Amino acid sequence: MKKRILLVEDEKALCLLYEEELSREGYAVTAVTDAEAALAELGKAAFDLIVTDIRMPGKNGIELITEIMGLRKDIPIIINSAYQSYKEDFMTWAADAYVVKSASLDELKAKIKQLMGE
Amino acid sequence: MMSELRKDLVSGRWVIIATERSKRPDDFRPGGGTARAAEPVGFCPFCDGNETKTPPEVFALRATGTAADSPGWKVRVVPNKFPALNRGTPPPKPANGIFQWMEGTGVHEVVIENPDHALELGDLPVRHIQDVFRVFQQRIKAIEEELHYQYVQLFKNKGKEAGASLSHPHSQIVATPIVPKRIKEKIYGADRLFRNFKECAFCRILQEEAAAEERQVVRNRHFSVIAPYASRFPFEMAVYPLRHSPFFTDVRDDELMTLAETMKSILTRLKETIGDPPYNLILHQAPNPSLSLEGWPEIEKNFHWHLEIFPILTKVAGFEWGTGFYINPVPPETAAKFLRQP
Repeated sequence: MKKRILLVEDEKALCLLYEEELSREGYAVTAVTDAEAALAELGKAAFDLIVTDIRMPGKNGIELITEIMGLRKDIPIIINSAYQSYKEDFMTWAADAYVVKSASLDELKAKIKQLMGE
Repeated sequence: MMSELRKDLVSGRWVIIATERSKRPDDFRPGGGTARAAEPVGFCPFCDGNETKTPPEVFALRATGTAADSPGWKVRVVPNKFPALNRGTPPPKPANGIFQWMEGTGVHEVVIENPDHALELGDLPVRHIQDVFRVFQQRIKAIEEELHYQYVQLFKNKGKEAGASLSHPHSQIVATPIVPKRIKEKIYGADRLFRNFKECAFCRILQEEAAAEERQVVRNRHFSVIAPYASRFPFEMAVYPLRHSPFFTDVRDDELMTLAETMKSILTRLKETIGDPPYNLILHQAPNPSLSLEGWPEIEKNFHWHLEIFPILTKVAGFEWGTGFYINPVPPETAAKFLRQP
């Protein structure tokens, strides 16, 4: 059975790109564009990993992951942000990895594999 | 009364003491700033029980029989999970050229001061504060001896306005491959004054402040706390050991106990005087003694370690950035008077 990833990314073009690339890697990807939709998906299905952006309209990614931690702590989380500066916020420690967005998705894919134990 | 321009003896920095718009402690009570950072919603990576969300601990004071990275600790030290500087061999020298650069190596550790999210440093029992400072000493010493960085900076940001992203009480230790500019300014200033005074400038300041008394907040058998003559910020304080030493890592155990009592006393006074303000606490000491100090041959005689505490009650803006001057609306004599009150 395919492992499931919940992808939270507010930029629609990037969301489509990640969804396509990660599906090609063999994962079942559920993509949403805001934190509220992510929390709704978490209530409906079981996921093996979450990838989330930080800067998003509404709740940001840090608020999202702290809320997820209040519900359950067993799903690995990767922060995927264009900004290094959020590393200074210790609430990002709720995540298991912090990847700075780049043109290549190699680092993100490697972190996913590592956290999935592949 | 006119405003006054005052010069800090060691750094040479000027400040404006704006006496004509002098403020009282009540002017700074909550509304002007609160110590609390944003509270996590049901989760804090530093709280007891969440040890798996931090990198493995590098040091901890914990109950006998408890395993590393599990509950049962009193003070816990972990590396920064997502550090700005990566641990590695310090680069030998900055690269040549007009634009110097080095590899971004360094050490960044977080000292979680207690397992309870709501208990601030000043709220802890004196013995616990002593343990926190003992851990600071041990980690600074270990980093200096094992990793050979030029300078190890200890600091604490309390409250959102002071830069804390998490309200769980913690301090940070950052080691850098170069001696930072602020430290160099003090080293060079202390060296120049040593040649004038024929004694440590900080020891001389302590003698003058003890005689004048008006800026002294606390003086006990091992430490003196003063509101510095050229304070940059309202209710700024500096904690000096009475025994001359350039290194905080030299503090003896009996002195450490008095330091804990002193810290408890001044943090409590600060809270009672202006209502739990956000603040920064920093340590300044001489560069790493396990490396060659040949660049500053007199440093053991002329430098004197100290702590600085500055409540964040005013904003640093264009004038300060442009000139390096600070405008302080509370004369240190007034601040000391209020902080001395029981």
